[in-house]
Amino acid sequence: MAIPGFVLVQGVVVGLNYGLLALGLVLVYKTNRILNFAQGQLGVVAAVFLVKCTQGFHFDYWFSLVLAIGLAAAMGGLSELVLRRLFNRPRVLVMVATIGLSQVLYVFTALPFILPKNLSRPFPVPIHLSFTMGGFVFSPGEVLTLIVAPVVALALAAFVRFSPWGLAMRAMSENADSARLSGVWVRRTSTVAWTLAGVLSAFTAILASPGQTSVLTQPLSPDLLLFALTAALVGAMVNLTVAFVSGIAVGVIYEILAWNITSTASVQTIMFGILLAVLLVRVSALRKGSRSEERSTWLQGSAAMRRATTALRARVGATGVVVTLVVVALLPFVLSVGKSYLLSQICLYGVVALSLTVLTGWAGQVSLGQFGLVAIGAVMAAHLGGSIPLLLLLPFAGAVTAVVAVVVGLPALRVRGLYLAVSTLAFALWIQVSVVATTCWTVPLLGKRLCTGLPNPSSTLISRPSFFGLSLDTTRAFAWFALGVLVVSVLMVRVWRDRGVARRLVAVRDNEQTAAALGIPVVRTKLLAFALSGFMAGYAGVCLALASERFNTNTFDPTYSILVVSMVVIGGLGSIPGAVLGAVYLVGLPAIFGTTSTIQFLTSGFGLLVFLLYLPGGLSEVMHRLGDVTTDGVRWLLERPGVRSHLGGGGEGPGEPGEPVAVLAGAGEAPAAAGEGR
Amino acid sequence: MTAGPALLEIEDVLVTFGGVRAVDGVSMRVEPGSVVGLIGPNGSGKTTTLDAVSGNVRLQSGSVRIDGEEVTDYLPEERISVGLVRSFQDCRLFPELSVEDILMVCEDARHPVGVVSSTLQAPWARRSERRKRQEVDRVIDSFSLGRFRHHRAAELSTGTRRVVDLASIVLAKPRLLLLDEPTAGIAQREAEAFVPLLRRLRDVADCTILLVEHDVPMVFELCSHVVVLETGKVVSSGTPDEVSRDPRALAAYLGASAEALNVTGPTGASTPSGKEREGDRGESDGGRGGAGAG
Repeated sequence: MAIPGFVLVQGVVVGLNYGLLALGLVLVYKTNRILNFAQGQLGVVAAVFLVKCTQGFHFDYWFSLVLAIGLAAAMGGLSELVLRRLFNRPRVLVMVATIGLSQVLYVFTALPFILPKNLSRPFPVPIHLSFTMGGFVFSPGEVLTLIVAPVVALALAAFVRFSPWGLAMRAMSENADSARLSGVWVRRTSTVAWTLAGVLSAFTAILASPGQTSVLTQPLSPDLLLFALTAALVGAMVNLTVAFVSGIAVGVIYEILAWNITSTASVQTIMFGILLAVLLVRVSALRKGSRSEERSTWLQGSAAMRRATTALRARVGATGVVVTLVVVALLPFVLSVGKSYLLSQICLYGVVALSLTVLTGWAGQVSLGQFGLVAIGAVMAAHLGGSIPLLLLLPFAGAVTAVVAVVVGLPALRVRGLYLAVSTLAFALWIQVSVVATTCWTVPLLGKRLCTGLPNPSSTLISRPSFFGLSLDTTRAFAWFALGVLVVSVLMVRVWRDRGVARRLVAVRDNEQTAAALGIPVVRTKLLAFALSGFMAGYAGVCLALASERFNTNTFDPTYSILVVSMVVIGGLGSIPGAVLGAVYLVGLPAIFGTTSTIQFLTSGFGLLVFLLYLPGGLSEVMHRLGDVTTDGVRWLLERPGVRSHLGGGGEGPGEPGEPVAVLAGAGEAPAAAGEGR
Repeated sequence: MTAGPALLEIEDVLVTFGGVRAVDGVSMRVEPGSVVGLIGPNGSGKTTTLDAVSGNVRLQSGSVRIDGEEVTDYLPEERISVGLVRSFQDCRLFPELSVEDILMVCEDARHPVGVVSSTLQAPWARRSERRKRQEVDRVIDSFSLGRFRHHRAAELSTGTRRVVDLASIVLAKPRLLLLDEPTAGIAQREAEAFVPLLRRLRDVADCTILLVEHDVPMVFELCSHVVVLETGKVVSSGTPDEVSRDPRALAAYLGASAEALNVTGPTGASTPSGKEREGDRGESDGGRGGAGAG
């Protein structure tokens, strides 16, 4: 393995950026125990604004820099104020909220007074120094990074070490409640931390931007975030020095690998392996201080296990579902081809969202990599679509994906919550960049070639097979097929919810210890959630591939995985109708207003924040209340004189009367009665 | 699984947390059908001893045997196969599950049904689900929990959660039951209501009980044997009568004044031994109970 000097320097330049990003991640995690997915995006706003100031308003560079950094600091502080309401909720939900935040910030960069008119001009750099090393020219931007990044890191170190805020942050990272009781201004400290995180992020983006053209247009770059996370994890998410140094190390390792190995796929695979190894090695250090967060109730007023309370309410609900279903089933008759295609997309995204409802809503395992599993289903469709009947292909692809999902879930036995989310995100990226993009692999030790991928991963045509002799070639027929798949999926998930699977998953999620004491096999139950979820994602992947009649690696970008998480949260975590409603909202709405990423992020970003902050029950909660109101209306109609005889007492009030109130007193007789029964 | 109460033998159990020897060479033999109370000051290793038996902590050394079967290396969820059931001090249960679902989960553990047959709603899966629901209905009725059937555990008061916990214990049909402070966090008046409840539980559940409790009068009333722990070691053990007269027990936990034993609300007993003679059915057949600490 050759390691020329300039590659090392190049690695340090890249690594300094990772290091700065990691510092921001650690700072926020230290104070609030939040994994901030918006860390990168906070600074992108500043970088874009810097370009606007220098090129649009023709301000002096340094003045613009101050403005831009001030903007990032303000954005950081403001974000903290917005998210503060969520700080006592489960950490993974707050993490999802920061994803929403990053999407809102992306939309923010597109605002007219921030977005520069001409994006193609080079990013402004204040110095003109450059040097050559081993035939490689280091640009002024890279020189700037080498100078500024260490200074910023040292300044932060001094702040944390010597200012009272730094001490407060360290106290909060140990125990926020005690810190509060001993007079630390917890809220203000966390605002300060987020403001600093904004500044750090601004430096990251401004230093990284000259080197690449994509920073301005890229909404959320998961690989950059993952490298920074790897560094932050080495520092167990609390040690700033270790995180910064590891950031540089990650950069150097990456550049060395990239210099020696030509295929991006292999480099990504190694980086994925490093991330997983770091996670598993650091797991005990990461677990420290996370007990209380594990013990917080998963949801407040969750929709997961809600059932109709009265017969009339159930009837109203069922009527609503049936009427909607009939209307939707008739829709393809009147819809255009494009809109029929949209309908099938909504249905199939609904199935993917349902798969996440099982995994995240019930089992509490957050997966940011669901589309990695969908991709596997799609590969199966491309390989086997023509050779075996569709009715067999669907469960077969589901079963294969379920096995993969169980493997993906294995780290969940050791790491949990936030870190599992990180590993699944890495998995999704790895699947997209390495696995499905590679046609043939050379098995490392055996030296054999293994061809699992597609001949042309960027565009393989897939023909739709017939279904029981019925042709699915027309868009209308396929829309019905997709609707059928959704209906069957909903029925299946309902059986899981009502007949024993869901309650076991929820039990293990809520209280592993007690579940084990009652004899629920914890490990098997956790992996079962992954298997069920993978099964659904797998056959949904087959259907999605058939819908577009084309396999393209770009359709499995991790962005879609995050979109699915948004669907589930916006719909109401754990709710079956919620998953479907989330898909309608996030796929249907942007399609009406135009599918640019701005609109996409506007709907999902604002949706996530608004629902998490103000309507934790999500869209399903809205529907449920609507159902309640309708029920009240129907009851009022039915209870008018003369109508009641028809009804036969359908509308009795909630709660069963006549139960003893003092349970404890009454329970004194109880076990005796229980004993008589045996 | 054999029926009837189980025999628990603990031998030289050592559990350390860092450098702290939380349980330091505790040995104990809990006879089938007896009720043994474990008392001691805070941090004396009572709960850790229960954890050691239920498999929630790793033993440094020593062994745990149930009916002679070595269970030291069993996972917590495997120990139910030898009839071991425990309650937890915090009694959190499953916050998001309704009372009915919590009890159904207990039944799920005892009568597992495969996911595939459950998904396809195979006839045997339906039958099993129906049977479980009947069983749960019966227990809900007998504990008068009907009003709370659809309430989530997070919405229940601590007292009600404890009742649900007991109901789940009855469903689990234990042969050896570990109770960790069943009256912790509930009001004095409710705690008094708990004593007859626990006594009935002991009588009808037909199991061996190892009880950790701070309410000394209650322990002395319920238990046939009492073991006193201090800093992870057994300092005294014997019948409540013997323990209450043992100076080491008094020094370790009961305090200088034995009168403390007499203070327990309106139903307060004169002396623990007097209470036992009041026709405590568990004790009347004498030979059944008994624990020996080594």
